[in-house]
Amino acid sequence: MNWIGLGTLLAKEVHRFSKVALQTVVSPLISTSLYFLVFGVALGARLREVQGIPYIEFVVPGLVMLAMINASFLNTSSSIFQAKINGTILDILVAPLGAREFIVAFLAAAALRSLLVGALVFIVAFIFNGMGVAHPLYTLLFSLMVSATFAAFGILVAIWAEKYDHLAAVPNFVLTPLTFLGGVFYSVEMLPHPWDTVSRLNPILYMVNGMRYGLLDRSDVSPGVALGVVSVGLLTTVLVTWRVVASGYKLRT
Amino acid sequence: MKAGAAPLLIERLSKRFGDIEAVADVDLRIRQGEVFALLGPNGAGKTTIINCVAGLSRPTSGSIQVFGHDTVRDFRVTRRLLGLVPQEIVFDPFFTPRESLRIQMGLMGVKPDLGRVDELLRMFALWSRRDSATRSLSGGMKRRLLVAKALVHRPRLLFLDEPTAGVDVELRKDLWEVVRRLAAEGTTVILTTHYIEEAEAMADRVGIINHGRLVLVEERDSLLSRNRRGQVRAVLPVALSAPPAHLPPGTRLESENVIVAPWATARDIEEILRVVRQLGEPEEISIQQTRLEDIYVDLLKAAPDSLGRHREGESE
Ligand SMILES: Nc1ncnc2c1ncn2[C@@H]1O[C@H](COP(=O)(O)OP(=O)(O)O)[C@@H](O)[C@H]1O
Ligand SMILES: [Mg+2]
Repeated sequence: MNWIGLGTLLAKEVHRFSKVALQTVVSPLISTSLYFLVFGVALGARLREVQGIPYIEFVVPGLVMLAMINASFLNTSSSIFQAKINGTILDILVAPLGAREFIVAFLAAAALRSLLVGALVFIVAFIFNGMGVAHPLYTLLFSLMVSATFAAFGILVAIWAEKYDHLAAVPNFVLTPLTFLGGVFYSVEMLPHPWDTVSRLNPILYMVNGMRYGLLDRSDVSPGVALGVVSVGLLTTVLVTWRVVASGYKLRT
Repeated sequence: MKAGAAPLLIERLSKRFGDIEAVADVDLRIRQGEVFALLGPNGAGKTTIINCVAGLSRPTSGSIQVFGHDTVRDFRVTRRLLGLVPQEIVFDPFFTPRESLRIQMGLMGVKPDLGRVDELLRMFALWSRRDSATRSLSGGMKRRLLVAKALVHRPRLLFLDEPTAGVDVELRKDLWEVVRRLAAEGTTVILTTHYIEEAEAMADRVGIINHGRLVLVEERDSLLSRNRRGQVRAVLPVALSAPPAHLPPGTRLESENVIVAPWATARDIEEILRVVRQLGEPEEISIQQTRLEDIYVDLLKAAPDSLGRHREGESE
């Protein structure tokens, strides 16, 4: 293991997103706060309670999850894609770094950014309505696992992508729609048949609900199942990413 | 590093890109401490060979050892021993020169040593710009930064891929100076170029490559003495009707006051200049040297046999 290399790559990635914190941290904070205001405060006045909690609180976990998923995905994908396009990926490829160091460093940096964004979004929600965290340990573990999953997914997409459109398509056409359909704004129990069942095929539903369990102690799926689904997702993406990075696919000609 | 092992040992290296055979069955042993020039026209396979050694390309077949370590199996060891200055200028706009060097040092697995970083910044005349945005550096500065980056972990084997292509005369001289200093300190250097004068100025040995095949590996001195030639062109203050006597055979008049005379040795040049001066002080003199391309064509013509054998060997 090249520990110095791993630490340097991690620090470099953290340095990178902190240099443009306005874009990487403040911007998701503003956009989620807007969702929060529009859907939570405006609709909340009419919808009042879902699963026995005020609607304004009900939407918070899903919005936190959405922000975290996007933050972790974007951190790895944009960094690696840019490095590929401008050629600086060479700095990493000529270094004595194996797939392990590569993946651990990129995942850790992305998880840091994601946790930071998630925490800030939550703090905004806290300021609005003073909600607490029902299961702190579960929330932290769960957040880390989801962040790592999407960070690994971001590595894969960046390696595969050949133009910027490929990259931008994922948050716009996959992550955000799946998150919204994953019950950020409603409980799947409120959906008519068969959509309540179809929704359960969406992996992000388990992430939104796991987060809702962690923060609010409410969920459409059991917390164990949510953790199980996320564990399988994490293991699969990390394994695939590890194989792809180790093979040199599209990185080493 | 294994004691006594060659800095680089390439055996039967081949690399295909689809139908293109970029590197074909190359064998090469680099000696400790030498400066080796890999010469060949564009597309010959120089960069691909370097990329295979550095791990940027995956060989189709063959094996590569760096100081006795296999570049695939022991990549952590070999990459630590290698430095690579790439052909294209690449830079990360996010980081300043100083940050870039510090980061590269860490990635290479070396404990951060700001002293080393600052030493390189000074050595490559980047000190005054150490904290500037890298994007704002001139082309020459960016290239010097690339060299500094490749040296930050004190590699034992340094690759310079066309270090002087598109570089001004001054920077070219500076780079040659750096190579000389590194070689004097015991670093083995492999550079690629298509300028024979660069190989002449720098290299102890020269390998000529074409269409992915290493056509010839030879000591610089013997290669150059066998092939050195060129022409002297002089613009005279007087008009002539025929080339003066005593000039080498093949001398011609480009126009009535312009003489073009071929040379093969330094003596020839002196003799040509002496004869020309007797006709009056020339208004202009230029001494041209044959470029690699020409020598290269000659070498191919002169060695059809060895090439022929290669081709037959391939179809067996
Ligand atoms: N990544 C690649 N994909 C396809 N062909 C390539 C690639 N890299 C190099 N080649 C081809 O391999 C041959 C050798 O290229 P290269 O090693 O760059 O030559 P040189 O450095 O001597 O100019 C060329 O025909 C080039 O087009
Ligand atoms: Mg090249």
